[in-house]
Amino acid sequence: MIVLIARKRDRGAFATLFEHFAPRVKSYMLRLGVANDAAEELAQEALLTVWRKAEAYDPAKSAASTWIFAIARNLRIDVARRDNRAPPRDDPVLELSSPPAPDAAISANEDEVRVGEAIATLPPDQARVIALAFFSDKPHSEIAAELKLPLGTVKSRLRLAMIRLRARLEDDLR
Amino acid sequence: MNPSHHPSEALLIDYSAGSLDAASELVIGAHVGSCAACARDVSLLDKVGGALLDDLPPAPTALDALATALARIERPAPVASPGAAQRTDWIRVPSAVLEAATKRRRWAAPGVWIAPVTGDRRGKRAYLLRIAKGMSVPRHTHRGDEMVVVLKGVYVDGGVSHHPGDFAENAVELVHKPEATMDGECICLIAADGALVPRDWVGRLFQPFVGI
Repeated sequence: MIVLIARKRDRGAFATLFEHFAPRVKSYMLRLGVANDAAEELAQEALLTVWRKAEAYDPAKSAASTWIFAIARNLRIDVARRDNRAPPRDDPVLELSSPPAPDAAISANEDEVRVGEAIATLPPDQARVIALAFFSDKPHSEIAAELKLPLGTVKSRLRLAMIRLRARLEDDLR
Repeated sequence: MNPSHHPSEALLIDYSAGSLDAASELVIGAHVGSCAACARDVSLLDKVGGALLDDLPPAPTALDALATALARIERPAPVASPGAAQRTDWIRVPSAVLEAATKRRRWAAPGVWIAPVTGDRRGKRAYLLRIAKGMSVPRHTHRGDEMVVVLKGVYVDGGVSHHPGDFAENAVELVHKPEATMDGECICLIAADGALVPRDWVGRLFQPFVGI
């Protein structure tokens, strides 16, 4: 879909992508504590960025959801930092690249399914801290305080989750 | 050479999730940019973020959201300003870091200069620290934990060598005196909560200049 946008500036493909992802990006922003209007605006901006940067998308490297996640995450960080002179997030991943291979999209989308399955098989303790890490806008030290758990416990759960994800995915993902 | 000292998985997860403060994010980002293993982990974590995003229940958007977006894509995109050129003798860093090195350096001790990178008054601040060949930072401790990544050269701290790309997390209570080797100057990017607290007379002498 993003490849169609890059090659043909295909508005139909953009509309399909928008209708799937804009409500999810908005949902993500709301979870991170962004107010409704700002979340709506960030969802717009994220999908607009997809349109503008479509040429930089490499389907062999990431599924559409991964790429849009990175765009949405960076946009929110940059908006939050606009007031205090901190530099915007620097992300080589979003500044590619060579032209993608035609059949590469298939493998990245399979990855996405496997990642979903891998997350689903994490023990509940580990899945919970991973979800909080991605959706609470708090670093692990604050998550530990919120859960009233020792910092070492949260760190080791995150480490164990990472080890499981690596073990399940790294043979498959290049 | 691939770095041999890495951030914890928890820090890589915070980095991928986007929940780090700007200063820590710069340090971790510089390490990830020069470390194949951590870059692989972050790419896996970004996939996790993507899968979690895709799995979220959609939030209702404005009725005219798609029409607004379709109108917006017709407008020309703003032109991004090109960043400063990379330095071949440093690991890759964002242009804001390179600019700090040329525009904001100030002497802190013999052979040592510092250059503030982020202007964030809250939370951790990022700054560059340069130690001349064979020199050291006066013995000091910190007002908070600090994260360090080597951009150029090698420093030795407590008998351990840190090479370009290497990451270190120093707890608040650590008293140390990092030294550049005789091979050349060492430049590090540091995220720290507050000023260095000098622990010997040389440091105290220079303290007024280290107002980070």
